[in-house]
Amino acid sequence: MSTYILMKILESTPSRYDSGIRILTLGRLDRVYNRLTSHIKRGQRVLDLGCGTGALTLYAAQKDAKVKGIDINSQMLEIAKKRISEANLSHRIDLYEMGVAELGSEESESYDVVMSGLCFSELSEDEIIYTLREAKRILKPRGLVLIADEVTPKSLSKRLINWLIKFPLVIFTHLITQTTTNTVKNLPEKINKAGFLIDSIKLNKIENFIELVGKKP
Amino acid sequence: MNLIKYFVLNTIETLLRVFPFPCKTGLIKMGNPGTNSPVFLTCNYHLAVERVKRALKGIDCYLLVANSRGINVWCAATGGLFTNHDIISVLKTSGIEGLVDHRKVILPQLAATGIEARTIKKKTGWNVIWGPVYAKDIPAFIKNKFKKTPKMRGVEFPWMQRTEMAVAWAFPISIIAAIAVIPFWPETIFLLILLVWGLACLIFLAFPIYSHRLNSERKRIGFIFFDFGRGGFNLFIWIFFILALILYSILAGDFTWGSILRWGFISLIAILIISLDLMGSTPTYKSGLHEDRLLKVILDETKCNGAGFCDQVCPRDCYRVNRKEQIATMPRVGRCVQCGACIVQCPFNALYFMNPKGEIIPPETIRKFKLNLIGKRLTQTEGK
Repeated sequence: MSTYILMKILESTPSRYDSGIRILTLGRLDRVYNRLTSHIKRGQRVLDLGCGTGALTLYAAQKDAKVKGIDINSQMLEIAKKRISEANLSHRIDLYEMGVAELGSEESESYDVVMSGLCFSELSEDEIIYTLREAKRILKPRGLVLIADEVTPKSLSKRLINWLIKFPLVIFTHLITQTTTNTVKNLPEKINKAGFLIDSIKLNKIENFIELVGKKP
Repeated sequence: MNLIKYFVLNTIETLLRVFPFPCKTGLIKMGNPGTNSPVFLTCNYHLAVERVKRALKGIDCYLLVANSRGINVWCAATGGLFTNHDIISVLKTSGIEGLVDHRKVILPQLAATGIEARTIKKKTGWNVIWGPVYAKDIPAFIKNKFKKTPKMRGVEFPWMQRTEMAVAWAFPISIIAAIAVIPFWPETIFLLILLVWGLACLIFLAFPIYSHRLNSERKRIGFIFFDFGRGGFNLFIWIFFILALILYSILAGDFTWGSILRWGFISLIAILIISLDLMGSTPTYKSGLHEDRLLKVILDETKCNGAGFCDQVCPRDCYRVNRKEQIATMPRVGRCVQCGACIVQCPFNALYFMNPKGEIIPPETIRKFKLNLIGKRLTQTEGK
């Protein structure tokens, strides 16, 4: 999973992002996204937070949902737009350059699903709390929240293993792009605290990657 | 005690100045702020936050720290890492809206290359006030009723900053060089470090003596932080030196690969230091590696209303605004560092960049596409 750090290198050159991510994740992210979007039903309204180049967005649209994708990186959105039109799914997807801090402009109870892939780890604590509060407001009752992201492992030994793999990569990315990826701490607790019920949680072996399905009561 | 901590912190982070130092984003209360207290905003470069906090000591106010990925305001804003979204996010998610009655936020002036005051206003209702360039001017700025004097708008490169840059370069280079020579030539470490620090200090401290000769328009060969002069001139000198060294040692009859390798390495370090992207390390010149250095700011007089946004954000005091005739002029255009802040902020699109071929780069492009680490805008390389 530490390969996700290398994403950061790729992010600064968005035009190479897609081919890079395919190599780095060895198709793993595709499997995760496919599984996560299997909860989406035909005709539902879906919001994709931090859609990037549209990987998760496309999976949702293929389930015949109407998807709105938002991201703050205009260059990534350009790539997403291109990919979506190549997949002939433009009629089901709307893309907007906006951040999670602008969710206040969305109507209450207007979405069936709010989803996000590798976005929460980019947010600050304040932003996560704000986003989950807004997500709950804009979801219809019994609406779903679907999250796939890097997390901080709970057990010390796994944190240590994770850190050992990650540290050289952190230094390397810092030198090249002067940025780094983060992990989310205590994501399930935060989801609970925001008033969601947790349907399912799936962690990988080192416990640094989570797939989470939550539900608005 | 606090002073010692501040000093130690400044020293460590100056030594590692070329690396980002992210710190926590969000809201910081200074003193006992109330609903009418001013709201300041800065980036999340740790040293910047510490310096702003120090300048705000004794003032009751709020300080918002927005995400710039741990990079200083000017570089992050110009490089697209400190954007409208980061400002909107901290205004909306930090809880500041529930703490003050007004909607005025004071931003560091150098953020104007990346942050659009109009967009912030439209999306959040907050009014952006461009504060002084340097945090140390904040108390005087408050006393002056939140108005900047021309001096608060300009960037300088005084000896203190020059020393910081010399240290920031010398430290990482001497560490890398020292690690590299330990296995095969440990006795030179001391001399090598002396050479690195001596050269770096000489280059930066002597800056005023030769700065008038610097010209960023010449074509150069470079690699991120290094600038090898016209046609790689510095590298040619190095190759020439090595060849001369080989020739000399053969003629003198004591040729060994070891000595060539050692001298080659030492001279390479010296060449690297001489080839530092010096202009890019100063606030008063555009980097010799950035494509924008060749651009010229053009003022379209038919569109100009003399509102003076350009003058408020220009760090080089290029503009004069004639309010009576409602027009701006650029009497000191020669001082321009092509930062683009005026172009980004002008509400009438009266300013734009023109490249050496005479092609216009519209303001929208400058607002949307920022410089990447090697000084290029993605839009140009893609030819859009």
